[in-house]
Amino acid sequence: MSQSLAKECNEVKERYDTCFLKWYSEKYLRGAGTADNNECSALFKEYSNCLQGALKERGIDKLLEEAREDNKENDATFMGRKKCE
Amino acid sequence: MVLTHTTNHTYAHPFPTVTLAFFLRYCSPQLNPFASHVLSTDTIESYVDPATGRMHTTRIHLKKSRLPPAVMKLLPASLTGGTSDKASYILETSVVDMREGWMATESRNLNFVGVLSVVERQMYTMPKQQQNASSPSDTTDVETKVVFRSRLGERIRDRLGQAQAQAEAAVSDAANNGGGGGFFARLGARGIQRSIETLASTKTQDQLGKSREGMRIILERLRQTGIMGVLELRKMARERSSEAAA
Repeated sequence: MSQSLAKECNEVKERYDTCFLKWYSEKYLRGAGTADNNECSALFKEYSNCLQGALKERGIDKLLEEAREDNKENDATFMGRKKCE
Repeated sequence: MVLTHTTNHTYAHPFPTVTLAFFLRYCSPQLNPFASHVLSTDTIESYVDPATGRMHTTRIHLKKSRLPPAVMKLLPASLTGGTSDKASYILETSVVDMREGWMATESRNLNFVGVLSVVERQMYTMPKQQQNASSPSDTTDVETKVVFRSRLGERIRDRLGQAQAQAEAAVSDAANNGGGGGFFARLGARGIQRSIETLASTKTQDQLGKSREGMRIILERLRQTGIMGVLELRKMARERSSEAAA
């Protein structure tokens, strides 16, 4: 079973994953999942709250920020390259 | 210092099922024996854009290191922490558009980016000639593009021009004073970057095959038992593993 990064979130992650997969396959894929993932959003909030601490503790929040900045830089690099070649 | 690798593949399954398999692919080693290197998977964002109807999802996977041991051996211990058994965080973003029939995904490593950045982008589409047909198509095309970039010896935060100039300076320094300087100067920044990219690329081509094999197993399972069967199997696997832990 795929675990959560944070052991203490495993249980709520599991409930959210199950909810999401059901919603996705039964509603979204059939064109019924329109504006929002409402039936799973309360679970997602609970899961997110649980995960926040672990993301901070492991420095993943910082890595995410760096990845976003890096992305901009990479885009600039590739565009620059195209002009040179 | 960029190496790109592109492959195309067609799954013998309809587009909606393939997108579902994408979200399920790391869900259980019982379901996907090729996912045993995935230590954890978490969703950090998931929403449907009300304007477009597209579903946007961001997940973080923790995987046993993608960096091949040969790459680890090339690197000074100060960069790797002296071990070749590190795990890496992978950021996966995906957008599904059911109306237009496509899914775009991107996976990139979050740590070790100073050593090697691997960005994998996939585009899943229904075959074009069938998009407008009344009967849904039975197959799904996927194009996978992987970009390897090693920035060892470059100052990551620098702008392109400076970074380029430094890499060139490092190489010419190494050529001129033949030996002095640090680790990178001695080996030549370019050479090392190239070696890392090549080694990683070879390994990734191998892993792409495994990841397709994993998708195929999940797709077969979905064909046989549907999503409810898969969820049931997941539940059983979880119960078994918690019994084993108890």
